[in-house]
Amino acid sequence: MKKKILAMVLSAAMAATMLAGCGGSSTASTAASTAASKAASTAASTAASTAASTAASKAASTAASTAASTAASTSGSSSDLLKGTEFEGVTAKGTYTFNVVVKSFQSTYWQAALKGMDQAVSELGSDKVSYTAQGPNSESDIADQVNMLNSAISAKPNGIALAACDAESVKDSLSQAMAAKLPVVLFDTGVAGAPDGSVAATIATDNSKAGQLAADKMHEILKDKITSATAQVRIGEINQDATATNIQQRGLGFINEMIKLVIADGKTVAVAGNEYYVNAAEGANGKEADANVVIEVAVPAQTTVDLCSTEASKIMSKSDTIGIFGSNQTSAEGVLAANSNLSVLSSDATKGMIAIGFDAGSTIKGAITDGTMAGAVTQSPLLMGYYCIYALTACANGSTIKDMPMDGYWYDSTNMSDPQISPNLYD
Amino acid sequence: MEKTKKKSVLSLFSNQKYIVILVVILLAAIFMIASADFRKYTTFVTLLDMSYYYVLMGIGVAFPLITGGVDLSIGTGMVCYALVGGYLVRNAGVPVIVGILVALLFGIGIGALNGVLVAVMDLPAFLATLCTCMITRGLGSLLTFKSTVPWPTDKQPGGWFHTIFKITLANNTKIPLGFLWVIILTIIMAFVLKHTKFGRYVIAIGSNKEATILSGINVKFFHIMAYVVCGLFAGLAAIPYASAIPTIQPGTGAGVELDAIGGAIVGGVSATGGSGSIEGTFFGVYVICLLKVGLPFIGLQANWQQVITGAILIGTVMIDIVKKRRAVATGQAVA
Repeated sequence: MKKKILAMVLSAAMAATMLAGCGGSSTASTAASTAASKAASTAASTAASTAASTAASKAASTAASTAASTAASTSGSSSDLLKGTEFEGVTAKGTYTFNVVVKSFQSTYWQAALKGMDQAVSELGSDKVSYTAQGPNSESDIADQVNMLNSAISAKPNGIALAACDAESVKDSLSQAMAAKLPVVLFDTGVAGAPDGSVAATIATDNSKAGQLAADKMHEILKDKITSATAQVRIGEINQDATATNIQQRGLGFINEMIKLVIADGKTVAVAGNEYYVNAAEGANGKEADANVVIEVAVPAQTTVDLCSTEASKIMSKSDTIGIFGSNQTSAEGVLAANSNLSVLSSDATKGMIAIGFDAGSTIKGAITDGTMAGAVTQSPLLMGYYCIYALTACANGSTIKDMPMDGYWYDSTNMSDPQISPNLYD
Repeated sequence: MEKTKKKSVLSLFSNQKYIVILVVILLAAIFMIASADFRKYTTFVTLLDMSYYYVLMGIGVAFPLITGGVDLSIGTGMVCYALVGGYLVRNAGVPVIVGILVALLFGIGIGALNGVLVAVMDLPAFLATLCTCMITRGLGSLLTFKSTVPWPTDKQPGGWFHTIFKITLANNTKIPLGFLWVIILTIIMAFVLKHTKFGRYVIAIGSNKEATILSGINVKFFHIMAYVVCGLFAGLAAIPYASAIPTIQPGTGAGVELDAIGGAIVGGVSATGGSGSIEGTFFGVYVICLLKVGLPFIGLQANWQQVITGAILIGTVMIDIVKKRRAVATGQAVA
C-alpha cells in the first residue's frame, strides 16, 4: 500500500514537473512599474481612435520598418517606439489575456523578447493586458510545441502569439485557431504556406535580408582571399535545423547572396552538405569536386550547442576553410565552442578563419569584443516582443493589422556601443 | 589439448571488454583512413574534450547497472548541477571552486534520493530515476529562473577550472590534461569495483540479491551507495560539461544518459546486472564518442549518423551475445 501511494505521488510529481520543466510561465504583471504605466495610460487615452489607427496602418506599413529601426535607437516612451507604426495610439479596449508560445527558452534571445512584451504590457496597463508564455525545452521539441499550441488554443485566450519551431507541424493548429476565431500573430519566424487568413500578422526580421547582410559582410572581408585563391576554398554554414522558416530563410539568404557575389568575382561555386539547403540553393554554377568556392552547410541532429559544435569542428578542421557562418545564437556559440580546441578564428582574414554569428548573448558579444569573431547580425527581439503585444491588442480590439518586417543589424567591435545597436545586444 | 589451445586466443574475445577495445581501434582506424582531417591533432583534442563528461557519467552509471538497476537521471542531472553551480558563480559571485562543490554535493544528494527510492522503498529503478530525471530537468530551469548560464570562459576571472582539462601552450597547442584524470579515475573505480568490499557487494547485489541479503550483508546501505556514487560522478561530469559548452541551456541533457548507459552496456556491463567492468565502460563510451565525432568527419549527415551509431552498437553487443550462446550450446565454460 505504501509503495502504491508513493508511486502515485511520484507520478503526480513527474506530471507536475513536466509542466514546470517543459516550459515556463511568466505573467506580465511582475514587470510593470507604476510610474511608467500611469504615464503610458494618460498618453494613450489622449491618442487617436480606432478609425485613425486603421488609416495609419494603411499608410504606415511601408514606413513601419524604417520607423522601427530609427525608433530602436531611443529607449524612450511608448509613443516614440510606436510613432509612425500601425500601432500608434493603440489602447486596450477590454481586458485581454494572451498566450505566447515561444520556440523554447534555450537561449537568452527569448528572454529579451519577453522583456519587450513586459514593456508593452506595462504601457497598455497590466490590469487590462496580460500574457502567459510557454515554450518547449529545446527548439527541436516540435511535438511538444504543437501540444502547447493546441492547449493554448483550447484555453480560448484573446489572442495567440507564436514562434513556430517547424512551419509544417503548426498548420493544422493554425486552421483550428482560425475556426475558433482566435487571432494569431507570428513573431520571430513566419510560417511559410500558412492557411489563408489564419495569421493576422507576422512580426519578424526579414530573415532572407539578414542572411544576405551576413554574406555581404563576410564577402567584404574575404574578397581578396577568394579572388586570389589558387586552390579550392571553403565557406561553412551551420544552421541549427532545416525546419524553421526563419532559419531556412536566413541560411538560404546567406547561401544565395554568397553565390551571387562569388560568381560576380568570376569564380565557380558549389553548395554541399545538408540536402535541404543544397537543393534549395539558387544559382550555383559548379560541382563540389572542382568549384573554386564550396559552400558547405551542416545541420546537427538536434538544436543544441554541443551538436552544433561537433558539426562546426568538422568544417573548421578542414585546411581550406576560410570562413564560417552560424545562423543563430545556438549555432554561433557552437562555432565558438569548436574554436576553443581548434583556435583557427580571427577577425583578420590574413591571420585566420573569419566567423560571423547571429543574435547576441554574452558569449558571442565577448568573442566579438576580443576579436575571435569578426561580427554578427543582430535582430531586435525586444522590439519584436513589444510590437507583438501591441499587435495582439489591436487584433483583440477588432482592427486588422499588417505584417511588420524588421531589419537585422550588423555589429562588430567598432559599433557595439552605437545607440542604434546596443539596445538589441541582450545578454 | 585442442580445446585449451583455442581457448587461449579466442577466450580473449569471449570477454566483451576486449571486443570493445577492438571496436575502438577499428573505428579510429576507419575514420583516420577515410578523412585526412580526422588525423589532425586538433581533432584528437576535440574528441577528448567532448568525451570527458560521457566517460564520467558512464563510470558512475556502471554501478547502478551492475546492481541490476539503472540511473536515468544522470543526463538532465548533470545539466542541472552545472546550471546551479554556474548560476551561483555568475549571479551570486561565489568563487568557482564553490560552484564546483555545489554541483558535486547536489549530485550526491540526488544520487542518495535515487538510492533511497530504489533500495529502501523498493521502487523499480527505471521509474524512480525517470522521475528524478524529470525533477532535475525542471529544477535546473526553476533554480536559474529559466535563464541560460555561462560559466567563466578561460580568459575571464575564475576561468582556471578550464585548465583542469586542457592546457594551452605558448604556441597555441592544447594538451588534453582531462584525459589523464579520466584514465586515473577509471583505474581507481575499476579497483574499487573488483577489489573493495563495496565493489564486490555491488556485484553480489546484482547477481543474486536474495543470497546477498541472506548472507547477512547490509544490502540496503550498499545498494544506496551505488546510486550515490553514480550521483557523485554525474556531479563530476558537470564540470567538464561546463568547460566544453560555453552556455548551459536549461531543459537540455535528456538523451545524454542513454549515450552513457549505452557505452557501459557496450563495454560489457550486463543490462540485468551482476557483471561488468569499469575498463569496459571506458572503452564502450569511447566507441560512442568516436562515432559522434567521426561520422560527421566522413561526411555523413545527422540522420545517417544516428542510424549508423545504433547499428554499430547493436553489432558490438551482438558479438558477445552470440559468443555466449555458442559457449552455452557447446558446453564450454563462459569467461
